[in-house]
Amino acid sequence: MKKMMFGWSGAKLLLWASLLLTSTLAPLSVFAQADPASDVIPAPKEFSLSTADLVYYAYWLLALLVLLVIVYIFNIGAASEKLTGRTVINWTKVNAWLSIIFLVAGSAGVAYELVYHGKLLLPEAASAHGDSIDNMFNWTFGFTFAVFVITEVLLFWFLFKYRHKEGRKAAYYFHNNQLEVIWTVIPAIVLTFLVLRGYSTWHKITQTPEPKAKQIEVFGYQFGWKARYAGDDNKFGESNFNFIDPATNELGLAIKPTVVALRDTLMADTGRLGNDLRNLSSMLKTKADQLAKMSLAADGKAYTDLEREMEDIRNGNKASELRKMIKRKGVQIQRINATLDSKDVFNEAANDDKITTEIHLVKGQPYTFRYRARDVIHSAYMPYFRAQMNVVPGMMTSFTFTPTKTTKQMQDELKNPEFNFYLFCAKICGSAHYNMKIKIVVESEAEYNAWIEKQKRVVDPVQPATPVAPAEAKDTTANPKTATNRNIKPSLAMGF
Amino acid sequence: MSTAAAHGAHADAHEHHHESFIRKYIFSTDHKMISRQFLITGIVMGVIGMMMSILFRLQLAWPDQKFAILEFFLGRWAKGGVLDANFYMALVTIHGTIMVFYVLTAGLSGTFSNLLIPLQCGARDMASPFLNMLSYWFFFLSSVVLCWSFFVETGPASAGWTVYPPLSALEKAMPGSGFGMTLWLVAIALFIVSALLGGVNYISTVLNMRTKGMSMNRLPLTIWAFFFTAILGLLSFPVLLGAALFLIFDRSFGTSFYLSDIWLNGVGALENVGGSPILYQHLFWFLGHPEVYIILMPALGITSEVIATNARKPIFGYTAMVISLMGISVLSFIVWGHHMFITGMNPFLGSVFMFLTLVIAVPSAVKVFNYLTTLWRGNIRFTPAMLFAIGLVSFFISGGLTGIYLGNAALDINLHDSYFVVAHFHLVMGSAAIFGMFSGIYHWFPKMFGRLMNNTLGYFHFWLTFIAAYLVFFPMHFMGLAGVPRRYYAFSVLPEFNVWLEVNQLITVAAIMAGFAQVLFLWNFFYSIYRGKKSGPNPWNSNTLEWSTPVEHIHGNWPGEIPTVYRGPYEYSREDREEDFYPQHIPGDDEGHGHGAPKTKTAPVHTEEAPAATGGNVLFSALKKVLGFSPR
Ligand code: HEM
Ligand SMILES: [Cu+2]
Ligand SMILES: [Cu+2]
Repeated sequence: MKKMMFGWSGAKLLLWASLLLTSTLAPLSVFAQADPASDVIPAPKEFSLSTADLVYYAYWLLALLVLLVIVYIFNIGAASEKLTGRTVINWTKVNAWLSIIFLVAGSAGVAYELVYHGKLLLPEAASAHGDSIDNMFNWTFGFTFAVFVITEVLLFWFLFKYRHKEGRKAAYYFHNNQLEVIWTVIPAIVLTFLVLRGYSTWHKITQTPEPKAKQIEVFGYQFGWKARYAGDDNKFGESNFNFIDPATNELGLAIKPTVVALRDTLMADTGRLGNDLRNLSSMLKTKADQLAKMSLAADGKAYTDLEREMEDIRNGNKASELRKMIKRKGVQIQRINATLDSKDVFNEAANDDKITTEIHLVKGQPYTFRYRARDVIHSAYMPYFRAQMNVVPGMMTSFTFTPTKTTKQMQDELKNPEFNFYLFCAKICGSAHYNMKIKIVVESEAEYNAWIEKQKRVVDPVQPATPVAPAEAKDTTANPKTATNRNIKPSLAMGF
Repeated sequence: MSTAAAHGAHADAHEHHHESFIRKYIFSTDHKMISRQFLITGIVMGVIGMMMSILFRLQLAWPDQKFAILEFFLGRWAKGGVLDANFYMALVTIHGTIMVFYVLTAGLSGTFSNLLIPLQCGARDMASPFLNMLSYWFFFLSSVVLCWSFFVETGPASAGWTVYPPLSALEKAMPGSGFGMTLWLVAIALFIVSALLGGVNYISTVLNMRTKGMSMNRLPLTIWAFFFTAILGLLSFPVLLGAALFLIFDRSFGTSFYLSDIWLNGVGALENVGGSPILYQHLFWFLGHPEVYIILMPALGITSEVIATNARKPIFGYTAMVISLMGISVLSFIVWGHHMFITGMNPFLGSVFMFLTLVIAVPSAVKVFNYLTTLWRGNIRFTPAMLFAIGLVSFFISGGLTGIYLGNAALDINLHDSYFVVAHFHLVMGSAAIFGMFSGIYHWFPKMFGRLMNNTLGYFHFWLTFIAAYLVFFPMHFMGLAGVPRRYYAFSVLPEFNVWLEVNQLITVAAIMAGFAQVLFLWNFFYSIYRGKKSGPNPWNSNTLEWSTPVEHIHGNWPGEIPTVYRGPYEYSREDREEDFYPQHIPGDDEGHGHGAPKTKTAPVHTEEAPAATGGNVLFSALKKVLGFSPR
């Protein structure tokens, strides 16, 4: 029996000793190694020695701790308990005291956090409704913090106070209607208060019409934002996802020449794709010749890619992909054609719109942001304005608020000349989700006017309607009859 | 004929207790074995999920640092020792999926419902042992499919564990929306089948197969919790299945349930019009919210049992506890909109959901007060199980209270999708439910494996995990309140967030500490299975029926007749008895008054030979005939 115990603890000792050894002997630089591409000995970048130390010692300490525990339990503890026949450590006492220590240290930790990070929390709201949200927050915090402190203190205090004692019997106490009614009713009252207050705050923010609000369209896409101002006519031009062309018409605005050019490009594309589809077998031959000239050793990935392409052609994947593309573009062409004559869509209102890469706002002016998404759901999050709204493809959403502090004011208040308002994306939307933001500048009316003056109109007023016609559009092979078929009902869902 | 043959062979095997290895350990229909299978699979998935969290925690704490060792392990997912942004998303997604569904739904509820429902109700096995076995194997298959997605070229699903379309619906929207996403959906579909098979079984067993004298108001709170959990699952999982099927259609068959007006980079304008991405969210959260209670309620049930046993006191307010569970269950179906306040949903609807959500806080508060009163004037034994149950109560308080912020639509405007949410659900769902699971493992380990776990290691495990969990999740509240959005791959690109790097480093170190603490647990668990101290039949001096079975597992649980139940499960420290416990099956005329005295003293709820012909029973005896298995 003893022998076996020794055998086990020996193995354990070895295991943990090796862990300990690796962690002591391996300063973090072994794990964390510099970019091999850099030629000079790299200076540790953004990684101060103290943090390295922190991890390093954490590993070290933990390994040590674990080692101690194991050694203690399986050797010393067990052996001495066997020898003396009495418990070495009174765990009831230890656990009871640990719960008190946890309570005290935990409270200290919470207090420290509140002081240390408290000033970063809910930084001064910079919008009119922000104050009402913060007010609501403070009420909620008041109640919940009180409940938190009372219940947690009771919990750990009871643990300590009523810890097991030999010979004592617990109270046979199972039921007390009065007590239970009291602690059902009190939370109910508090929550009623919070609900009512919450309702009025929510109602005020979301359902109060703001007739003076100026509208700005905020357009989210993978991965960035654009803003659109309505221009001098104070009217947004129509937009539609079928009109989008990343080069000439990012937001898909209804500008006839641009959209016509897009349609022509699409028609050219379909024609070319149709040719490709017809010529698949000759394409396969060309590729085979090409492949014959290459070798796996020399070309590596290019070789395997080509091989895969040929495989796709042989299996018909390529053909079905081409057919799908032709169909999709055909639908888009039809949808464009169906609207081209509509005076409601192509009403010239878009011409003087301005698309910007920053959002500038005038302090004290109410705004309604109208959100449009190009591809997936995004969320427009502006923590300083206490504003957030999802940006959903196929559905217009909006949020109304009034900025009450200029950027300059915030910079002074926060003593941070670098400070800027941003609109972040808060809904997972792809790999660059974390880096999808647009700067917001709040300023005086004069500053704003100067800025908006400098922003370019969508269509230059001097030479109206001169979109760049893509070169390929000329050698179009598509049948013009299908392209101009207007007999389709305008069935597309408009942006707005 | 083959049925009969199988049956005969089966009966033989039963008699001689010589089952083939495969029938005994792999395709077992014994609920105790199935429970162990659920537990071990859950633990394995939990370790995987935890390792993922440590990986992405490293990235969050030191976004610019190159960890060459990562490239060694992860290859192209960590080129140059830096985690790839797409892979980060995949890790977060699969971590969330694994933890929510695989560990805390199947691992927790699957394990303990299976173990305890027959044992505590006094049944020989589940209503349909065969469906029960299927339930495990669907779960296993589902786990395999999910893990398989790591070996797919474009990587596993990475649209977040909620997989909102269009991101998840469009193959070209991100690499993770390719084949990995298909596998995710298949895995979830299999998982739902497993959950439904389990749920049907749990419900019918509780309703139909209780032993003599086990009226509903003598059921241990664990069983009540598993019962409501199963009902929630049965009613809400099919909705998720529907949502997932629609998503599969949109992905593969060109339908437009969730898609409209999309122009996708690299593809162009899509043909889909008329769908709504928000529809998916409604369907998802119709499961999603009950799901958090599917996770939490079994943990609360376990806690009730463990606290009463170890405080040596009747649980305070048994009836109130059951009513609270019922209230939570009903309400949990009509609050899903609180996840969608800012989706552009009609603000009036937001007000309704806010009201209903805050109502749920009342039964939750009642539960906490009842736990506290149960401890009051107790005689508290610090077993590791008890400590973990206390830990649950503590996390349930701190995590539950932040729910009052998030349920308030006005506050949610600013908090939605920020780290505040991460802090909230990790405390109330992550930490609390995991602690419930640990509590259950320590408490019923002797029942499952016939041996005891080491207490000292348990204490270390508890205190290290408890402290680390608070260190990890508490500071996240502050980040959220300062406006840091969740699911961000790197904070260093935003100068405003740089102040949080330091906090992130603290959190990561604490997370690694938590990871180490789990090594203690794993050691303790697997070591004790083989070499733990042998347990007696009732190591905790507990009242419930499972401790009246022999330590060695046998088919049918009780060697002789199933014991009859004479009183409620929480008769601890009665003045009229010398011992401080009074097992349910010990005869005695006195009913006890721990809770509502049962009126159905005489009516046997179930006798082995002739089950009462209730609807469920008829259904199940028909099923049993079809499938050729009978409960033992
Ligand atoms: C070792 C302990 C754990 C650590 C350190 C940890 C850490 C984290 C962190 C930091 C995130 C957010 C990542 C981001 O937003 O970029 C996260 C996400 C998540 N975690 Fe955990 N977690 C742990 C355990 C758990 C447990 C036990 C659960 C069970 C409920 C859980 C469920 C989730 C879920 C559902 C998400 C959201 C995934 C998503 O955004 O799609 N985690 N975890
Ligand atoms: Cu995003
Ligand atoms: Cu919810």
